[in-house]
Amino acid sequence: MIARDRNWLLIFAVCVALAVVYPLFADGYQLTVIRDALIFGLFAASLDFFWGRTGILCFGHAAFFGIGGYIMALITLNDAIPFGSLLGILGAVAGAAFVAAIIGYFLFFGGIRGSYFTIVTLAMGVICQQAAVSWSSVTGGDSGLIGIPPIAFDVGGVHVDLSQDLPSYVFVAAIVAIVVLALWSISRGRWGTVLTAIQDNEVRAAALGHNAPLRLLVTFILSAAIAGLAGALYVCMAGLVAPDLSGLLLSTEVIVWVAVGGRGTLLGPVLGAIFIQRAQQTISSFNPSLWPLLLGCVFVIIVFVLPDGILSIYARLKGLFKSRRHAP
Amino acid sequence: MSDVLLLAENVGIRFGGLQALEGLNLTVRDKELCCIIGPNGAGKSTFLNVLTGTLRPTSGSVRFLGHDIAGLPLHRIARLGIARKFQIPSVFPSLSVEDNLKVARWGAPAPVRPLGELLDLVALGSRAATLAGELAHGQKQWLEIGMALAIEPRLLLLDEPTAGMTPQETLATAEMLLRLKGEFSIVAVEHDIRFVRALNCETLVLHQGRRLRSGPFHDIETDEMVRDVYLGRR
Repeated sequence: MIARDRNWLLIFAVCVALAVVYPLFADGYQLTVIRDALIFGLFAASLDFFWGRTGILCFGHAAFFGIGGYIMALITLNDAIPFGSLLGILGAVAGAAFVAAIIGYFLFFGGIRGSYFTIVTLAMGVICQQAAVSWSSVTGGDSGLIGIPPIAFDVGGVHVDLSQDLPSYVFVAAIVAIVVLALWSISRGRWGTVLTAIQDNEVRAAALGHNAPLRLLVTFILSAAIAGLAGALYVCMAGLVAPDLSGLLLSTEVIVWVAVGGRGTLLGPVLGAIFIQRAQQTISSFNPSLWPLLLGCVFVIIVFVLPDGILSIYARLKGLFKSRRHAP
Repeated sequence: MSDVLLLAENVGIRFGGLQALEGLNLTVRDKELCCIIGPNGAGKSTFLNVLTGTLRPTSGSVRFLGHDIAGLPLHRIARLGIARKFQIPSVFPSLSVEDNLKVARWGAPAPVRPLGELLDLVALGSRAATLAGELAHGQKQWLEIGMALAIEPRLLLLDEPTAGMTPQETLATAEMLLRLKGEFSIVAVEHDIRFVRALNCETLVLHQGRRLRSGPFHDIETDEMVRDVYLGRR
């Protein structure tokens, strides 16, 4: 096992341990705060899986988060549908994946890459938000849908009810840990290596027999499906869904979380999402108009000073000491 | 005629008002080695692009094992058994040498050659863990040849494989290709005469998009017309 993988697993284990002991020290409110932050962390990891591995930025990722949220809301709010929670999650994941498949197919096989891809996905996010606002008979318009029940289902005779703080925290933390671990093992293996090759030189990879557009498309679909899952979890925890959840602001915030946490690390974006939301709450309680200004400054500083995110501080310090030691 | 691998007939290509290629024929038999030479701007790379199916000729046809390959997606052409080495070394700089070869093997329908053998073949056995972006220029060229071999091609097309190499590296590359001759067909586009002399094979000389001469290299080398073109007298 190479050192980079070992370090990643070590940090992952530390994070899981912290998540396990956290409920011993936190009250119900703090648990729900970290739970919601973890859901956004999952969302950030989904963007990182695509952006970090392909180098192509999706600027409308909240569209998939919102699609997942709305599908979950519509299914669980409809009493006629049995097993609402499970079908809702399934529908949210499938719906987001379906939309990504359609849009991705035309973009990837049409040769749209780089900033053009970013611009088209930006438009996609805006369209989704507009659709959520305008299609008010289904989506509830500007005010969205409220009263979404918490997740509850039976599995193998065990009744799972996530209306309480602790069970919902445990459920979300477990899903985030499993998904991040799964994404990591995909992206470090053969799939990820070929994606890196495509990012380096797509024509070369194709000339070696790799169907580059198809591989990019599948990665995009997987990324969107997880964003949809995050959206579905979020609306059940929050109890409401609104057009903001597929909006431009959320699309931008998730990019900042990934950039701050470190693109391509999967774990970094989760931590980035938690820290930034934490900071947002603290600073907004102090002065609400200060936050956007600070967020912008932090983003600029990160891009210039720590382009690989906060997780790279350790590696950079190590490099600094090493070069000091070797200096005459 | 059953051993004909690649058959280009009466190939012509026109870019706007410029007739880049005209009336070119090329037959590559199984396990044959041949070279395409010509001065700068003769249309060598354009012809190679037509042969690999990346450029569709405006007249004539290119058939590989009987299939018309013009306009097929790149990965399909690769899977038919056509490997290509680009003119500028295009390895994957952020992957290690070993991973570069692995990516190439994964693209193959049925990789045969073990990874270690590929590494030795291109003389990079000791650099397996090095990032490809950190290799010297000549080593990148070799790595790319290794990647082309990894997909187990029936036909290997090389676009100026020795560009930017030292004379020693050039001769080493020619030896490498001569060792591989007999495993699959090789078409090399080159303007380094030393390299072509070392290969000493069937040679097609292009000039201004047309066939000037074709035949065994020693006939070509002694041809007055070819000498005139290379020395810029015509």
